[in-house]
Amino acid sequence: MINGLYRKLDLSIRVLLVLAILFLLLPLLPGRFPLVVGTEILILGLLALSFNMIYGYMGQISFGHAAFFGLGAYTSALILRPLIEAGQLGYLGFFLALAAAVPISALGALIVGFFCVRLTGIYFAILSLAFGELLFYIVFSWYSFTKGDDGIQGLMPPFVFKSGVIYYYFTFAVVGITALLLRKISRSPFGYTLRMLRDNQNRTAFLGIDIRRVMLLNFVIAGAFAGLAGALWGPFQRSVSPALLGWHQSGVPVFMTLIGGAAHFAGPLVGSIIYTALNAYVTQFTSYWPLTIGLIILCVVLFLPGGLLSVIDIWVHRGRKADT
Amino acid sequence: MPTDLGSLLVQLFSGLSRAMMLFLVSSGLSLIFGVMNILNFAHAALWLLGGYITFSVYTALVEHYGVSFVFLVPAVVAGTLALFAIGLAIERTLIRRMYGRELPEQLLLTFALILIIGDLIRLFWGVQNRRIILPIEPLPILGTFMNPYLFVIMVIGLVVAGFLWWFLARTRTGKIVRAAVYSRDMVSALGIRIPIIYGLVYAMGVAIAALSAGVFLPIMPIGLGLDMDLIVQCFAVVVIGGFGSIVGTFVASLLVGIVYSFSILIWPGGALAIIFIILVAVLIWRPWGLFGTEMRF
Repeated sequence: MINGLYRKLDLSIRVLLVLAILFLLLPLLPGRFPLVVGTEILILGLLALSFNMIYGYMGQISFGHAAFFGLGAYTSALILRPLIEAGQLGYLGFFLALAAAVPISALGALIVGFFCVRLTGIYFAILSLAFGELLFYIVFSWYSFTKGDDGIQGLMPPFVFKSGVIYYYFTFAVVGITALLLRKISRSPFGYTLRMLRDNQNRTAFLGIDIRRVMLLNFVIAGAFAGLAGALWGPFQRSVSPALLGWHQSGVPVFMTLIGGAAHFAGPLVGSIIYTALNAYVTQFTSYWPLTIGLIILCVVLFLPGGLLSVIDIWVHRGRKADT
Repeated sequence: MPTDLGSLLVQLFSGLSRAMMLFLVSSGLSLIFGVMNILNFAHAALWLLGGYITFSVYTALVEHYGVSFVFLVPAVVAGTLALFAIGLAIERTLIRRMYGRELPEQLLLTFALILIIGDLIRLFWGVQNRRIILPIEPLPILGTFMNPYLFVIMVIGLVVAGFLWWFLARTRTGKIVRAAVYSRDMVSALGIRIPIIYGLVYAMGVAIAALSAGVFLPIMPIGLGLDMDLIVQCFAVVVIGGFGSIVGTFVASLLVGIVYSFSILIWPGGALAIIFIILVAVLIWRPWGLFGTEMRF
């Protein structure tokens, strides 16, 4: 191992550094497929990172997180589609679409979060699931605005971004910056307040901290970043559909975080790599992906609830002297 | 919107029968949570499985011996017993390991079960919706027609509710179960083997859900994805009624069933939304539900 600075960095940063190098080198692999999978890993990784703000750092499990992902996707789609139809799609429109997704999904998270943060544990989970399903149902039924089950087709990034490689590096840049932002947030006093909330809500309240406000703020931040991920997803997949808000999609960041490890910042990203790669591989052979991932999750929950990074963490620390 | 008395009456019966089914499914969910503190996300998926098994048994009987609604009885019994066994198996192999664990892990386990069961159903039965058509004459009632089978559902619902009440109030095992809802540790301290109680409660809850699916089959076709629809409604019922309280579940099912049924009449798209609003309101102002105990929250 490299000495000096590298030694001082914790596991997540090391993992992120290694991953960053791998991601940068990914386009060297032959064909389009690695690029497509790589972009998918990055976008869903951002979704998972935003989810972990609620789960790993705040201690609540949200089964409706994809609703904000879908809100962001639909926001960008609804802005891009008229522009494309009018032949007016340019860089300005594209970035506007991306930028607009953030406040819209943040607003959605504000409304949903206002109710959800009043509860914890099971009730939080149930309510988040119910809200997710409600938002899905709204998008699904509001045909005149969202085209319902048909979805919005024909989305496209403009000019240079049409190229798989360029869009991939663009996504890498966006996800990289937001990941660093999220890391900064998680290491700030706010981030430590979240951890306090996770460990003991009552004590945090005794310290005079407004629990509801902190939880709501975190929920909104998580929702906003999920929305950004969604905005990147639409032009990438060339279409959006109501399923992006559904509970199947909500399970994706949950599974990724579980597989990678919720206790580490880089866990969700590692989980995204494993999940997306597995998905891309398994779906080539069988359509029974839910069965496959369900069984994997079962095994992970039963035997490895800390995720992959917890295993690596123990393995790395085994050779060391006593650590804090 | 039809406002004549006949239509309203039919809608009421439809709502009541739906309420019965909701009650049967939700009572299992409520009991499982009340006793074991596990939120069985997969409850509706197991309900669906029961429905499919009932369908298969009925179809097999009908193919061999001709159509007769008597065959529904062994089909429903088969579905119920099958899910009792499956419930026992799931509890002993999977749920049992989750008792000491953190809440998110428990939720994730049952969530994963939904995916597994759903896909297994798809594997064995395919993606088509299934339904049973019973040879029953529509009953003329006050100017409009109604399926008299709705009465059968209501009666069966009441009978099973009665059985559940009798079991919990009058039998020793039932009283142990109620005691376990109140205080698991004391029951264990009294020397009663809690794991057996847990297995029984889980299996029973799931079996009753399967029974309701089978009984409801002639009215409503079942298909993939129906379980998620139902689980949200079940959560609404259990939260409104209060976890662990059968009376609460009963009252809440009536509420949700009838509200749903009449919403279909007035504002079809908004039926789920109305129930949802009630759920949110209850969660905010009285999270332990109408009949739940405050200390459990």
